[in-house]
Amino acid sequence: MNPIIQQLYDDLADVALSVRQSLLQITNGRGGVGAGTIWHPDGLIVTNAHVISGHGELRVILPTGDSYRAQILAQEPNLDLAALSIPAANLPVIEPGDSRALKAGQWVMALGHPLGVLNSVTGGVVIGMGQQLGDIQFRNGVDWLAVNLRLRPGHSGGPLVDAQGRLIGVNTIMNGPEVGVAIPVHVVKAFLKQHLGTQQKQAV
Amino acid sequence: MSSVLQSLSDALAAAVETASPGIVRVDGRRRLPGTGIVWSSDGVIVTAHHIVERNENINIGLEGDVIAPAKVVGRDPNTDLAVLKVEASTTPPVWADGSDGSELKVGHLVLAVGRPGTTVQATLGVVSKISEPQTERQPRRMRAERRGYGHGRRRWFYSIEGEMYGSVGPVIQTDVVMYPGFSGGPLIDAGGGVRGLNTSALSRGSSVTIPTARVREVIDALLAHGKVRRGYLGIGAQPVRLPTALAEQLEQEIGLMIVSIETGSPAEKGGLLLGDIVVGLDDYSVQTIDELLMLLNSERVGKSTSVRAVRGGQLIDISVTIGERE
Repeated sequence: MNPIIQQLYDDLADVALSVRQSLLQITNGRGGVGAGTIWHPDGLIVTNAHVISGHGELRVILPTGDSYRAQILAQEPNLDLAALSIPAANLPVIEPGDSRALKAGQWVMALGHPLGVLNSVTGGVVIGMGQQLGDIQFRNGVDWLAVNLRLRPGHSGGPLVDAQGRLIGVNTIMNGPEVGVAIPVHVVKAFLKQHLGTQQKQAV
Repeated sequence: MSSVLQSLSDALAAAVETASPGIVRVDGRRRLPGTGIVWSSDGVIVTAHHIVERNENINIGLEGDVIAPAKVVGRDPNTDLAVLKVEASTTPPVWADGSDGSELKVGHLVLAVGRPGTTVQATLGVVSKISEPQTERQPRRMRAERRGYGHGRRRWFYSIEGEMYGSVGPVIQTDVVMYPGFSGGPLIDAGGGVRGLNTSALSRGSSVTIPTARVREVIDALLAHGKVRRGYLGIGAQPVRLPTALAEQLEQEIGLMIVSIETGSPAEKGGLLLGDIVVGLDDYSVQTIDELLMLLNSERVGKSTSVRAVRGGQLIDISVTIGERE
């Protein structure tokens, strides 16, 4: 095989393998599974607010198979973000990237459990980022990140990473049948800072 | 970590950035704006005809959110291209037609770029086919021209006098999903060169790309005449199977039987008759309506053209001066 293509294959697999360490399953007793992303080694987890909506017991399953009951630290349905905590330590985290510097056309990969297919990886490119993207209908005053990925139920809350496996967004929703929409990581940071201000400072 | 993947990612983003100053927003319809491409630095912009729904009050959004009013120079509904002009200095992208040897091939990575908002947007795919869009386009466009003729489903024919979409020429087909507002924007290669113009109006349910070489032809015609001239013959015709002996002699199985002739048309003046089966034009074989329309191009307007037909089992050549379709 062409050595460049071989290297490309290896790179893709490396990113997928390393990011999978921080990809969680989240169940809320309704059946079905959502995704979550480890944000801090001491058990801070980020996911979508719509993943944890419901009244069942919220459980988080690590890639190792360990399962924990999760506690909700904060959630904001308007942003569709939630922060959870589990009593675990030394968890692998994904290095955050600079989501403000994203460029149209650059490579991204989304991880999650689409339609219950666990630990799936899908790749594509950034379509664009901003508060108003063409016909994207969501208007909540923050930036959205559009990608040419078909996100499915179960992708929600999972990580969106760049070509080096850095976290640049949280997979959230589809706009029409073809445009995947993620919350950029700078919006996630602002959310955590606002809701968990002091805790977050201590943790970092 | 990830050196090749990161390089690929950087290269794709750089390709978009390279083309970006030459990609503009075209605000010429009530719905979401579409995209246009700067043709030259004196403000000539090419876009998709179908997104320019009005002839006045058209605005162009240039890079840096500069907005400039534009005039319509000309339109060619056939290829769904329109040429606009802004009174502003513009930065064209790199137009690539493969003439430098970098031919676009099936399997190549390509990006569709659009500017429906203030910033450029992009999406990635591969070239899936480079071909004529006949099969996709013929049913949709032609059915409107289909005329009832008896009761049997087979007994219909196509009119050649209506608005025809048979001469776009080869198009680039990709698996790229064009998002709303991407029509009129470019398909670029991984080096940022513009390979053609994307439009959703020529085939049902998907977008095709009109190659740069064809875009250039249409723009040249529109800048020179304000329209693309099309040849006019003045017949209605139906594909029919040729008798075996003739089929072997001509090495073609199908011809176009004339089922109507317009009064005063070039066909009538030239002496074509109902029932003649057209099999060729100027030594080119004619088997389908699309082939005939391709041959009735601007170069043949006003020229004496030899129409080869079958009449009474014999091959005849009839000289017809091709008119111009209004």
